[in-house]
Amino acid sequence: MLTVSHLRKEYATTVAVDDVSIAVQRKEIFGLLGPNGAGKTTTIRAILNIIEPDNGQILFDGIPYNPGISNRIGYLPEERGLYKKNKLLHTIQYLASLKGIPSRTAAIEGRKWLERFNLQQYIHRKVEELSKGNQQKVQFIVSILHNPDLVILDEPFSGLDPVNQILMKDILMDLRSQGKAIIFSTHQMDQAEKLCDNICVINYGRVVLEGDISEIKKRYGKNSLHIEFDGDGSFLKTMPEFQKADVYQNFAEVQLADHGSVNDILRQLVQRLEIRKFEIMEPSLNSIFIDVVGSKGGKA
Amino acid sequence: MKKYWSVARWEYLERVKTKTFLFGLFIFPVIMILFGGLPTLLATRPDTETRVIGVIDQTGSLIESLQKKLDEKYKLPDGQPNYVLRNMTDPRFTTLDELKKYGNEMVANEAITGYLLIGKDLYDSNLVEYRSENVGNIRDIERFSSSIREVVTEKKLIQEGMDPARVKKLSTSIEIKTIKLSKSGGEEESGFGQIFITAYLFIMMLMMLILTSGQILVRSVIEEKSNRIIEILVSSCSATDLMVGKILGLSALGLTQIGFWFLIAAVVTLQSGVALISFSSLPLILVYFLLGYIFYAAIFVAVGAPLTTEQEAQQFTQYLTIILVMPIAFAFVAIQNPEAVWIKVLSFFPLLTPTLMVLRIPISMPPLWEIIGTITVLLASSIFMMWAAGKIFRLGILITGKRPTIGEIVHWLKRA
Repeated sequence: MLTVSHLRKEYATTVAVDDVSIAVQRKEIFGLLGPNGAGKTTTIRAILNIIEPDNGQILFDGIPYNPGISNRIGYLPEERGLYKKNKLLHTIQYLASLKGIPSRTAAIEGRKWLERFNLQQYIHRKVEELSKGNQQKVQFIVSILHNPDLVILDEPFSGLDPVNQILMKDILMDLRSQGKAIIFSTHQMDQAEKLCDNICVINYGRVVLEGDISEIKKRYGKNSLHIEFDGDGSFLKTMPEFQKADVYQNFAEVQLADHGSVNDILRQLVQRLEIRKFEIMEPSLNSIFIDVVGSKGGKA
Repeated sequence: MKKYWSVARWEYLERVKTKTFLFGLFIFPVIMILFGGLPTLLATRPDTETRVIGVIDQTGSLIESLQKKLDEKYKLPDGQPNYVLRNMTDPRFTTLDELKKYGNEMVANEAITGYLLIGKDLYDSNLVEYRSENVGNIRDIERFSSSIREVVTEKKLIQEGMDPARVKKLSTSIEIKTIKLSKSGGEEESGFGQIFITAYLFIMMLMMLILTSGQILVRSVIEEKSNRIIEILVSSCSATDLMVGKILGLSALGLTQIGFWFLIAAVVTLQSGVALISFSSLPLILVYFLLGYIFYAAIFVAVGAPLTTEQEAQQFTQYLTIILVMPIAFAFVAIQNPEAVWIKVLSFFPLLTPTLMVLRIPISMPPLWEIIGTITVLLASSIFMMWAAGKIFRLGILITGKRPTIGEIVHWLKRA
């Protein structure tokens, strides 16, 4: 559906994106990941033709951008906002009309989506009367109402309560099964891990990691240990058997150093902590991300 | 439907329905009528009650003739005399000072509106005093003055030995009645005022249109920038569509407002018996009007798009308003001498072209080469401004944090 090759964009003082190439297929949720300021938004803006890249090519089904293509793309920007003083349905109809949807169709589709998000009672209200979370749902509706082939969602879950997060997740899965290509930009790795088929991690404008999530995890090997415990686990950080330890109140994800046996480690832990779970597994995307962005991804 | 139509429709319909717009639509004419029309109306309204005016006539011979004269000339709508004179000479008071004191008391008691003090030496000094609490009633004073003048003249003629009947016959009071001509033929002088007013009206309309549409335009861009909806917009339609749509929609909004006011003004003026002049150079004036509007609208877009806050916008519209009003200051001088070289030179400066030409054309038609020249310059500037505005708009609307410097904007234009 979408191929971006060798994208480069420079601003006055910085290179925002340097030689970024990604490919997104239909029926796929593609994770565009990276820390703040890595170049995700610039990449998205280039795809949307909001900014002109200095170099590189962006093709939609093999065709470069043309005005008709904007009708096939839906976009939920990270920074949210709608016209405050205008009525909900009017706003939806206007934004849909810019995607080539006649206002009557937009009203029908809008009603349908508002019902799905349980917002039908606000249809004739002003946008400013809605809560932040509800406004965000409206914006999401706007980004998909015109039935686009490519949906670009920048942090779609932020600001939503858990119930709505599940609703949003279900809709994303639906959209994927309908054959849409979805670019999901986030820095919340647990969500990306659960949802994405392929990912691309950008740091300082460059691609530092890409590919199929399960393959990436496999590549990092089964050297990760998930431990659930009661007690004071702070000493885990300094154990020589661990390369790296990410310790929470009663959970820790650690990466094993090459030496030392797992049995020895368990024996040591049992003496100091009440162990509830002890599992060797693939590393989480989160720990891979921290690994890639934190060390290798340093300033080039 | 073209996308710029969607934008135009939205900008127009969503704003025309707002209470602020409707309020402004009605409140402006109401204010204009209250502050402009009402005082004039009250001042020219005929009196409804007879006024009692005291007279201290030291010549002892004028009061009767004056009363007769006033009765002849000024009557209330119901036929009653407008002024009744009251002889204040009273045997109780012998000196003039006592009489004055008595008169002042009468005025204070509101028994009389004021009193005329006609001295013994009237025929030499030609001076009459009018004493009243309100000496601002110009109409009354003018009436007394002319009536006394006539009476005195008649008396003098009789003293010179003329037959009173003959004097009566010969002395006719002349009053000037102003007649406004609707179509100016040979009467240059009489038509001038109205042509000028019509030209002025066009300039005011142009200014209003630019200011209302321009200000809303800048505001709407800033709003869309601050609520970030701009990203959705420019990912859905081109920046050009957005710009053109906004200009179209908001111009229509401005025209609605001005059209409505114009209609009210037309009704009011027609009611008051004044006809607005329509002149043959109207199409030419409309050309300047339109080009001038496009030029200014483009400036608003170009300078407004990179702004990021409401405060900046307010400052900026103030500056632009000053530039816009500047030609009005020239206008008075331009009318007196439309052929002055400096007026001709300034007419080629696109910021001033529309105003100056709209003023000059009705007064005295400038030579053809000047008309072609100024239109060409204005047209070229409008096209350039629109092009530049488009470029600046496209990049400027994505600026949210720091306002770009002039250097950066020049850089944008060069890259284009």
